[in-house]
Amino acid sequence: MKEDEHLYVARSLPDALAALADRAHAAAPLAGATWIMRAPIRRERLAPAYVAISRIDELRHVEILESEIRIGACVTHAELAISLALLPECRALAHAAGNSANPAVRQVATIGGNLCASAFAASDLAPALICLDAEIDLETSGGSERMTVERFLEARTSVGPGCLVRGVVIPRAARRSVHIRLPLRKAGDYPVAIVCLAATLNANGIVENARVAVGSVEPAARRWKRLEADLIGHPIDPLRAAEKAEEYAGDFHARDGVEAPGWYRVKVLGSLVRRAVQALQEERVDVAPSQHQ
Amino acid sequence: MSLRLNINNEDRLSVSDPLTPLVDVLRDEFFLTGAKIVCREGFCGACTVLLDGRPVMSCLMPVGLAEGCAVLTVESLARDGVLSSVQQAMEEHDTVQCGMCFPGMLMTLTSFLEGARAPTREDIKAALVGNLCRCTGYERIVDAALSVASTA
Repeated sequence: MKEDEHLYVARSLPDALAALADRAHAAAPLAGATWIMRAPIRRERLAPAYVAISRIDELRHVEILESEIRIGACVTHAELAISLALLPECRALAHAAGNSANPAVRQVATIGGNLCASAFAASDLAPALICLDAEIDLETSGGSERMTVERFLEARTSVGPGCLVRGVVIPRAARRSVHIRLPLRKAGDYPVAIVCLAATLNANGIVENARVAVGSVEPAARRWKRLEADLIGHPIDPLRAAEKAEEYAGDFHARDGVEAPGWYRVKVLGSLVRRAVQALQEERVDVAPSQHQ
Repeated sequence: MSLRLNINNEDRLSVSDPLTPLVDVLRDEFFLTGAKIVCREGFCGACTVLLDGRPVMSCLMPVGLAEGCAVLTVESLARDGVLSSVQQAMEEHDTVQCGMCFPGMLMTLTSFLEGARAPTREDIKAALVGNLCRCTGYERIVDAALSVASTA
């Protein structure tokens, strides 16, 4: 990468890593660019240079394997929604990918870029990935590292220069998952709050395992462990789950924003949890007992 | 260093910085002023163009990432003075008001109607989620799109 170059379009992963290493602290990865191109509106400075990774073929595939699903960092929201459409276990992620932003942004915005946008609290993908126990593969010139999505969201501002997200790995499981979002208008808005739920039920309809993730309420999405613990061991029950959610709402320190004050984001969580559990309940009929893990 | 672009089926060279938004290059360098600059945030859709056939917000697309792709703007739709079927339907349904959103609406619908099989009113509304009309003329726009779909 030349010293005066503002954008270098990498053709392979080693090429991208070499270009990032060349410019050390001065260059940053660029995927779909939909977040970075809005930096001036947020009054943020652009990096002196960017290494575009969206043309790297190996970062643009979704592989559905027996034990896991591998998603390249430059898979777009639109591609993700199509690739996962027939996998009930990943319905939360497919719905998140297919309903965020608007169709033209979904054609370009990538999963890797979405997770790296550290100032973007309203990511639809982040809570969906957390509830699916997804992990992130990071690549540096010195080697690879894997961490949970939740851990990455906490650590992403301190990830060193020269490092890029290679992709996301989701373990396969016979779970059902849902993604519920509340925008102020029917579509096109950032959601006020997001609740994602993944669960496995036994043959008697008792919750054996549950993951609840909440997005857009705090600066980064995270699990709601107290609510998860309360769902496990009980029949799936939307009203009971909503009551518990309201009881535990104080677990969140919500952010104020132009579209909604913090108190409102917390206030709607009970309703969103009820809708999430109800949606999961309606999917239950498709699950054969032999599929449970 | 110049960028090699293909815009409306013509090869063009741009001298812009590769991080320049595509919409600025289209308007300021090539005087293709159909794509409009309104929000610069990817919310309004007035700058929608097709990149390799897919609708994208050209305000959020660095021109360097459009190199090697086929860019189509609203100026490409009419051929030899004959409006495209979508443009013709918009005229017949008297949809155009201030015109600010229209280039984007046309590009989104051109792409959508090429791939859609018997789309419903709801399908068309979903396709237009990223195209805002400040004159709120949506219903006639959807009527026009449905008329194109029904004759396809």
